Amino acid sequence: MSKNYITYEPDNSLKKGYLSLFREIFNELKNNRWLTYQLFKRDFLAVYKQSFVGVFWAFIIPIISVGTFIILNHSGIFSVGEIDVPYPLYAILGLAFWQLFSAGLISSSNCLVKAGSMITKINFSKKSLVIASAAQSIVSFLIQFILLLVLFAIYGVAPRITILLFPVFIVPIMLLTLGFGFILSLFNGVFRDVGNIISVIVTFLMFLTPVLYSKPKIGILASISKYNPLYYLISAPRELILMGTIPEWKGFLASCIFSGFIFIICLVCFHLTETRVAERI
Amino acid sequence: MKTDIAIKVDHVAKKYCKSLKRSMLYGVKDIGRNILGMSSHSNKLRSEEFWALDDISFKVKKGETLGIIGPNGAGKTTLLKLLNGIFWPDKGKITTDGKVGALIEVGAGFHPLLTGRENIYINAAILGMSKQEVEKRFDSIVEFADIGDFLDSPVKHYSSGMFVRLGFAVAVHCEPDILLVDEILSVGDIDFQSKCFKKMQEIVDRKVSIVFISHNSDAIRRICNQVIYIRQGKLIGYGKPEKMILKYQKDIFFNKNENLKDLNKISTKEIQRRGTNEARITKVDILDKDNKIKSMFKMGEKIVIQINYSASQRINRPIFLVGIKDSNGIYCIEADSEKDGFNLDFISGKGCVKIIFDNFNLASGGYVVNIKLRQKGAVGYMDIIKNEFHFYIESFHHMKGLFNIDRNWKKVI
Repeated sequence: MSKNYITYEPDNSLKKGYLSLFREIFNELKNNRWLTYQLFKRDFLAVYKQSFVGVFWAFIIPIISVGTFIILNHSGIFSVGEIDVPYPLYAILGLAFWQLFSAGLISSSNCLVKAGSMITKINFSKKSLVIASAAQSIVSFLIQFILLLVLFAIYGVAPRITILLFPVFIVPIMLLTLGFGFILSLFNGVFRDVGNIISVIVTFLMFLTPVLYSKPKIGILASISKYNPLYYLISAPRELILMGTIPEWKGFLASCIFSGFIFIICLVCFHLTETRVAERI
Repeated sequence: MKTDIAIKVDHVAKKYCKSLKRSMLYGVKDIGRNILGMSSHSNKLRSEEFWALDDISFKVKKGETLGIIGPNGAGKTTLLKLLNGIFWPDKGKITTDGKVGALIEVGAGFHPLLTGRENIYINAAILGMSKQEVEKRFDSIVEFADIGDFLDSPVKHYSSGMFVRLGFAVAVHCEPDILLVDEILSVGDIDFQSKCFKKMQEIVDRKVSIVFISHNSDAIRRICNQVIYIRQGKLIGYGKPEKMILKYQKDIFFNKNENLKDLNKISTKEIQRRGTNEARITKVDILDKDNKIKSMFKMGEKIVIQINYSASQRINRPIFLVGIKDSNGIYCIEADSEKDGFNLDFISGKGCVKIIFDNFNLASGGYVVNIKLRQKGAVGYMDIIKNEFHFYIESFHHMKGLFNIDRNWKKVI
């Protein structure tokens, strides 16, 4: 028997058992690294070739949203709370981490639908497709990071040396994004409504999570934030960069573990059901 | 399992859902069940579902070429997608041994905004090539695609022919052990088609197992060892190409003309048609050598087409035209009574003429008879009957070519 011996039958994975499932997934991800990179490159080139402003989009969006909040704060309609550092710095740092989640989730949950005929005509690793689309948000994150460094210079605030750890701190939030991305892309393939709902929910979540304002001490938002993993995943790296410590490290650690679990569970679910989607798209 | 078998399909079935809303619901249900580790009970039909493929079994040995034939909607492409693992069967089992490459739709992964060069890399990756493989074969791909300077322009500016050429070029350079090909060779210009065929022949010679869908019976004959014939999701036949193609062509013919005998007997009054009304064809019979009405003939048999007419007035110098078209719509014969030297001075009232083919030597297949009636010197036709009368020619050995001409062989030296 050669190594390319494949069997297809109904409920295939169930018969093999859960343990070999993990090996299968791991091998698939490993063997398709180059494919993932090519798909990533394809999305990246397509986005930045098509728009005239190109990379500046990544600057414009956070500047507009932060600007809105500054105006709202100054006119007393909305209070951003007590913040020790200049507000734009705080907000843009938060937004950069937030859009890892929001942009990553939106693009990954739409990727199977967008690929459309490719999925029904060619058999390739759909996991690579989801990962490549979620990774698009890392590109805009890096671009926004440049904006951030400019802001640090303008305000004369020096980031802590821990800023160099940022590649590590985007891992948990990306795992969470990918996890949700896997599962939602499947459901989006079957129900197109899912895609529309996601962009609404993501906006709603942004206002629910202390990204553009500081965490309130009391009230509903305070208690929601207490159990909101997104809050910890964004505020911990932000505090690390601005202050050099993570005051709420317990919450952060719990959120990291939670993200890891979500990622693994969703990846397994995706693996078990990905062929179902090709039939329905 | 023996190792010389590349593909084994064992009682495979696949169901589809007719209703979109229900299909979504079932999709979520199946996904939910799979996630929870429950069987999806895929072997049962739910309401509004049907078997798109049912109980298909066959084997393909290593290095063998299998053709799939059947009418549109028979499930040919679905079967190919099952073999490729894009869909999973709902019943039965498919085993493949070797690296599988599929040419189901050319250029399916192309991004319109990216250049040909960028798309080659991406498409190759999607089709399962590694980085080293693409780099090694890149020049060969470009050469095969033959798109010249367009390599560095966005694919959306390509002509459809160029698009297909690039897609095919990438796909054939995958070098799989098992190649699945859907009806795609019918695209591109003649030059490129023959290039594709040459490449296919090369792949065949390399002992790659091929599964090949085509409506081109000539292509099937040329490269396939075995053919399966499916209709409405069911396996109708499995055997030698010649036999299966004949069976398929006969089925097409008789399916279209279920009541062949009655049809040829119907009164021509019921047929809507054009023509000035001065004379009408009232009845057409297709007869054999014993003057019996028949619709099945052997190659080389005598065939008589008898045309009854009725003229409401005296018509000088009438001309009868009998055209015979094959199943591809190609005119094989057009007999013109005047040019054949059969000159009638006039007709009036009822009458009958017949045309006799002593050796009807057209190849096996279905034929349709068109009959026209006109008057010499007149512009229009008095009566035209098209696509109403059919007959079928059967031959026991296959003959390439459209017809058989009487001939002799001699040894000279």
